[in-house]
Amino acid sequence: MPHDKVAGRRRRMDFFLALPSLVVFVCMGFIPLALIATWSFWSFDPDTYWIKPVWSLASYAALLENGRATVLLRTAGLAALTATASTLLAVPAATVVGLLSGPRRATLLVALFTIPFFTSGLVRAFAWRLVLGREGIINNVLIRLGIAHTPVEWLLFSDFAVVLGMVAAYLPFAIIPMVLVFARIEHSVIWASQDLGAGFWMMFSSIVLPLIMPGIIAGFLFVFVVAVATSMEIQLLGGAGASSISIMINDVMRVVNFPLAFAIATVVVIFLIVLVIIANRMLKLSRLFEDLGA
Amino acid sequence: MTHNNCNNHSQGIQTRLTRRQLVQNTALGAGALAVGTLGLPCAARAANEINFWATGTLDIGDPGWDILKNESGVKVNFTDNGNDPGPVVAKLAAGNANDIYDVGGLQGGSEKELAKRDLIAPWDLSQIPNYTNLWQWAKDIPYLTYEGKIYGIPTVINADSIIALREKASSVDSYGVVFDPKLKGKTAMEDAWINSVTFTAIYLKNSENTKIAEPGNLTADELGLVMEFLIKHKKDGQFRTFWNGWEQGLQLIVNQEVWVMTGWEPIVYAARDRGVDCYYAVPKEGYEAWGNNTILLKGAVNRGLSKMAHQFANALLSGFYGCKLGTLRGYFVPTENNVAYATAHSAAFNPDKVKELGEHVKAKFAGKVYWQNTRPDNFQLYEQWWQRLRNA
Repeated sequence: MPHDKVAGRRRRMDFFLALPSLVVFVCMGFIPLALIATWSFWSFDPDTYWIKPVWSLASYAALLENGRATVLLRTAGLAALTATASTLLAVPAATVVGLLSGPRRATLLVALFTIPFFTSGLVRAFAWRLVLGREGIINNVLIRLGIAHTPVEWLLFSDFAVVLGMVAAYLPFAIIPMVLVFARIEHSVIWASQDLGAGFWMMFSSIVLPLIMPGIIAGFLFVFVVAVATSMEIQLLGGAGASSISIMINDVMRVVNFPLAFAIATVVVIFLIVLVIIANRMLKLSRLFEDLGA
Repeated sequence: MTHNNCNNHSQGIQTRLTRRQLVQNTALGAGALAVGTLGLPCAARAANEINFWATGTLDIGDPGWDILKNESGVKVNFTDNGNDPGPVVAKLAAGNANDIYDVGGLQGGSEKELAKRDLIAPWDLSQIPNYTNLWQWAKDIPYLTYEGKIYGIPTVINADSIIALREKASSVDSYGVVFDPKLKGKTAMEDAWINSVTFTAIYLKNSENTKIAEPGNLTADELGLVMEFLIKHKKDGQFRTFWNGWEQGLQLIVNQEVWVMTGWEPIVYAARDRGVDCYYAVPKEGYEAWGNNTILLKGAVNRGLSKMAHQFANALLSGFYGCKLGTLRGYFVPTENNVAYATAHSAAFNPDKVKELGEHVKAKFAGKVYWQNTRPDNFQLYEQWWQRLRNA
């Protein structure tokens, strides 16, 4: 069969295989986002409590008022802190799973890391209140050991509690991509480095770390994106009236200010897309997929 | 008689749309779908069926609704509306709630806005004979009417104040305790401007002589004063947290995270059940009263279900519903019909208990009360100030 014909048939097959996913992405991903972006430029109609197609930048101007920009930046900051902490914890954890374990232990460890997902996020976050509170386990231990004489107040209802709650909840999002990258490392490379006299740290820093970097970046991004979108940990563990992007969108929707809610959502989506593009350009995220389509 | 008016919306659509209009209408339609709840608005229903869309705590369960059906002839399909008035109003205004539901049960204050936009219809009191037995002060709630017509029927009412731990704050009689520097970091308020702003306004009006006309409906200047006061106290570290929802509020008291907080009375009962010695304060400034009101959705009128909706509203005030709801959740329907019903059905309900609940609520209303208002005139300004408070 001529080469062109084979290539043509393959392209058609590829297209039909990808079609269901493409349809789902367009219908459930792209179109709603495009609508939200469009509506963010429309105006609130007090007569109907809905929006009307009168184009305006008012909602974007409102983003700079009443501390809304601060909420955007603060949420991004907390998410970055959470993603950084999760990534730092995930590297050794993924190393144990991907480099130092056989298949059975690796399976067991991955299963253990996914345990947090077996229960609802709300219950998870709520449980931290019982651990970190004035009468919580940690304060009781600190007082019994004489380390503190009164309950440590900042353990709960603080940024510390929020970041701790988010790291505990979203750590698996950082571990799993790294474990998958570990699975692609040729063991002969590691053996060769050992044959040449490299110790564990030399081998890890000069061979393994560069190879798993796309997994580290992917893990960081996964945690960052989920942390940007969450509200539970901030609402349950944060200080008085602590806000996040999700909480702000909820507040705005309660007073039917739809264009402003859409504008906040649009800014966040654009920010995340730009972040992924930058990560790809600078840190070669696409290396995760370099073996595909061969 | 049941009319099916599902296609009425499309009858007025012009046949020659420009491409821009088409895109705009499509976008608006998609938005309405996004805001609304997917459902089958025109599914066949019996002529005596009413779709009741209300706060979850108003549900008396299938056994209860079955008895109500036997007594009134109205079959009730209950759907929880989530209680938060914001999304409810949004679904009525921009979603398809009016296509699906006939009668709503909503925290009071939105009636005027909904009536103005023709989303709800006025009640015809001549079709609700039990309305005459409603307590007078419930009938006098200021936001039930619009242009002289009654749009909201107070079905459940109560009044909220302060929860306090007896051991830590033994004689609370003022909202001032929530802002008392001696209790810095030991107090909390609800993460909802509807309640927290009203409580603060009640306090400032009565104890700090701040010029506030109506704590439930602040002018822009009044709101500014109240919010600056809250922001100052938040910056000073007065509040341990702002609580959100029943479980969170209860946990704060049970684990003694806070010693005093504004909140709901049922939290006191639940905390006592868990062995915590706490009480509900009687504030000298007055209670924040709230009503969960029954509203007639315009869609029901369009579908020819107005008469059945009135029959249902009448049944809610007939005594059985009040007894059942009081037994299930301790909520009170403001009518003497409850005691009369319990007396006539003493095998099912304890008349003394029913009377006791009524007297308890009545005692709260014997003093000063200020009505909670879910849709003050400056409601979007409230949200803007709340954001500033969050960021303070």
